[in-house]
Order: sequence, then C-alpha cells, then structure tokens
Amino acid sequence: MKKNIFLKKIAFYIIIVVVWQLFSISNIWPNNIFPSPYEVGEDLVFSAADGSLFFGIGTSILRLLVGLVIAIGGGVVLGIFMARVEIVNQTIGSLVLGLQSIPSVAWVPLAILWFGLTDAGIIFVTAIGAIFAVTINTYTGVKNINPHFVEAARNMGAKGTQLVTSVLIPAAFPYMISGFKQGWAFAWRGVIGAELLFSFLGLGFLLNVGRQLNDVSQVIAIMLIIMIIGVVIDGVIFKRLEDKVMSRWGLR
Amino acid sequence: MTKLEAKDIVKYFKHDSHKLKALGGVNLKVEDGEFVCLVGPSGCGKSTFLRIVAGLEIPDEGQILFDGKPVTTTGPERIMVFQEGALFPWLKVQDNVEFGLKMAGIPKEERAQISKRYLDMMQLTKFADSYTYQLSTGMKQRVAIARALVMDPDVLLMDEPFAALDAQTRDLLLVEMQLIWEKTKKTILFVTHNVAEAAVLGTHVAVFSNRPSKIKKLMPVNYKRPRLAEDESLLPFQQEILSELRPEVKKS
Repeated sequence: MKKNIFLKKIAFYIIIVVVWQLFSISNIWPNNIFPSPYEVGEDLVFSAADGSLFFGIGTSILRLLVGLVIAIGGGVVLGIFMARVEIVNQTIGSLVLGLQSIPSVAWVPLAILWFGLTDAGIIFVTAIGAIFAVTINTYTGVKNINPHFVEAARNMGAKGTQLVTSVLIPAAFPYMISGFKQGWAFAWRGVIGAELLFSFLGLGFLLNVGRQLNDVSQVIAIMLIIMIIGVVIDGVIFKRLEDKVMSRWGLR
Repeated sequence: MTKLEAKDIVKYFKHDSHKLKALGGVNLKVEDGEFVCLVGPSGCGKSTFLRIVAGLEIPDEGQILFDGKPVTTTGPERIMVFQEGALFPWLKVQDNVEFGLKMAGIPKEERAQISKRYLDMMQLTKFADSYTYQLSTGMKQRVAIARALVMDPDVLLMDEPFAALDAQTRDLLLVEMQLIWEKTKKTILFVTHNVAEAAVLGTHVAVFSNRPSKIKKLMPVNYKRPRLAEDESLLPFQQEILSELRPEVKKS
C-alpha cells in the first residue's frame, strides 16, 4: 500500500519533468526565459561542484537554526507566562496577536536600520517571524492542560520551576510541537525573504544573483532546493516528532 | 487518635452571578486508620469536600484539621487519587510512580527501590517501562494508587477511582483495596456513588444529604473481611444505606 503511493508519486514527478522538457523543446518561449529541466539540473551540478550551492544552503540553514532556537526559547517562556499570569495575558497577549499579523519580511527595513547588513539582522527577521506562532501555541497548550495534572503534581509536592519543567511543558508539548512546526515554516520564509532583500549570502542571495545575471535556470534551481529542504524538514523531522509525541501522549 | 476533622465546612459553587450553597456545614471526624466511604446524591459536593480535605480548594467557612492542625494548602501527607487517574502520559509507569519522590529530590537508586515495592504490590512490575496509553483503565488505576502510596501519605483521598472500570476489574480491585488498607494502615476517604462499593470497603459509610449538604448519617460497617462485592450478607446493610440515601436523591 505504502509502496504503491510512493510509486504514484514518482510517476507524477516523472510526468512533470517530461512535460516540462516537451514544453522547452517546443520553443514556445525562448530558452533563456523557460529553461529545460536538463539546464536547471546542469546548473545545480555546476553550483554543487564549485561549492557555492552547499555554502548557500549551509548559510541559510545556520541562520534558520539560530533564529528558530531563539524563537522557540522566547516563545515558550512568553507563552507560559501568558497562560499562567493573567496580567501578562491581558497586556502582552494582545500585542502578540497584533505582531503575529505582520509578515516577517515587513521587519526587514527595521532590521537593516538596527543591525545593518549583517547576519544578526537576518537572524532577527527569522526569529521574529517565528516567535509569535510558538508563543500562541504554547499559550493554548498550557491553557488546555488537564487541570488534574497540575493538581496531582502540586499535591505530590511540585512547585515553581519544577512544576513548569516537569508538568506544564511536557503536558503542553503536543500543542508546542504544532507551534514549532508553524514557527519553522515562518522562519524558513523569513530567512529566504530576508536574504533576498539583504542580499548577503545564503539561498535568498543566490536567487537574487540569478535574477541579476538573467540566469533563469539558476533561479529555478535554487527554488527547487528551497522547496526540497522545506519538504525534508517538514516531512522527516517534524512529522516523526509529531507522530511520536501524539502516540505517546495517547492522542492518536 | 483523630487524624482528620472537618468542622462546619461551607462551600458555595459560583456560576456567573448566582451562588449555590453546595456544602452546608459538613462535620466529620476520622480516626487514624479508618476507611470512610462518602456516598451521596450526585452533585451534593462530596467530591468538593474531598478536594477541600486535599487542600486543592478552600472552604468558604469552617476548617479541616489534620492531626489537630488547620489545613491551608495541599500537602504530601494527604494524597489524592483522581477518578481518571490523572497519570502523566509523557512518563513511563515507573516514572509516574516515582514522580513525587523525584519532586522531593530523592536520588534515582533510592526512588527505584521504593517504587519497586509498590509496583510489586500493585502487580505492575512487568508494566514498569510501559507508557500509560498502553494500559487498560484498570491498570491505569493501579498505577494511580501506586503513585499515591509511594508518597507514604497519612491519608489517601480517593475520588470515585473505580467509577470507570468494568465490573470484573472493579470487583478485583475492591478486594485488593482492602488488602492494601490492611497492609498499609492508611486512613482512607473514598468517594463513591456505588452503595455496594461503600459497603465492601468502608469501616464507616458517611451519607451526604442533598444540597446544601451535611453528613446525614455516619454508619459503621461491622462485617468481617475480606468482603466480596457479591456477598449476600452485605445486602441488608446496603439496603440500610439506600434507605438513607433515597430520600436525598429524590430531593435533588
């Protein structure tokens, strides 16, 4: 069954590539505007061979990771405070909802003014794009904890940070995972968008270079890489983590 | 020696604007080592009374004395067993059982020694490494009881712990509960809506009146143990409890 689905997927992608190839050899559009899959593949091989592709991937992923770690750390702490301290929720909570509606690229001008064209600026955009999704999901998770968990834990002597680390966080974890997943997706968009505008290394920078050189096949090649990285992180890392947590927590 | 004393406990349920007097002056004296079953019409506040004894809720009037000292908060000398167990799904059975010990800062090896004793007692040894979603409802309740006993509390507070069990499992646990009580000499308060359960378990049965509830009658149970759920000799006593209870149920 599972193998069957896999075969269907493979067949689908082969068809796409074949149709693409047919379009490009039919010469409806000139080759420099609509390159063939072969040319895109060639471009990938070249940029892999001279190392620029891997350097770009490495730079973007490193920025993503640093931004995401900041977002998760900050978002979890903020979310717990919002859920447990009413005044924090009433004040900062409303601001969080507002800030979450700002697309992360809208932070780019501010980041450039504050940090200059630096890694810190891009990481700032990445982190701020992700932090509120983590915050809101953590808040919802903590709010939805079975109150008997907290009562039982207090009854058995848990209090303060012990209560937070040994009950609140694990009990809210299924929600927090959704927050991390959303947060990562926002962070990935944020990092590419910021690199595009900062034009300072990374995959977004390579996209920009492709545009400046009128190299459509490089642009498409980099877009494919961005998509593949997205699929791998989402489908492999987060899906596995989510499945494991859901089944252990008895939610599936 | 008097272990627990409830003095004129009054508690209101607050729904939006109107107040409902749930407990209207509950008085109860429980001697060390007694097994008191609390029965009453549904919604009479017997579970609320238990929560007040646990220190999870504060009465509007009156006080609970534990060893002569007023109860102001929750504490490990009065451990609650919740209806659905309130086990932590992110922990293995053994870690659930050791939770309170861990909170108290007891080192790992010592925790393992203590928990082993209670895992054996509750016949859970081969489930020590299981997660709670892998257990049946009956097994979960055994874990909940083991987790409470590990704390070595003076008083065990049980809130309809067998309500969700199938009949065979419950009958088995009714026998085991008597053995545990005889072995550990704990003082037990046990809330149930099941008259047969109360007759089998209790040294005393306290019948709650309808709201605003008081304890209408405290009835000693003078039958030899171990008692079985199907014991016909217990039927007259069950009838006696029912005749106290029936008018209250009608009023509710």
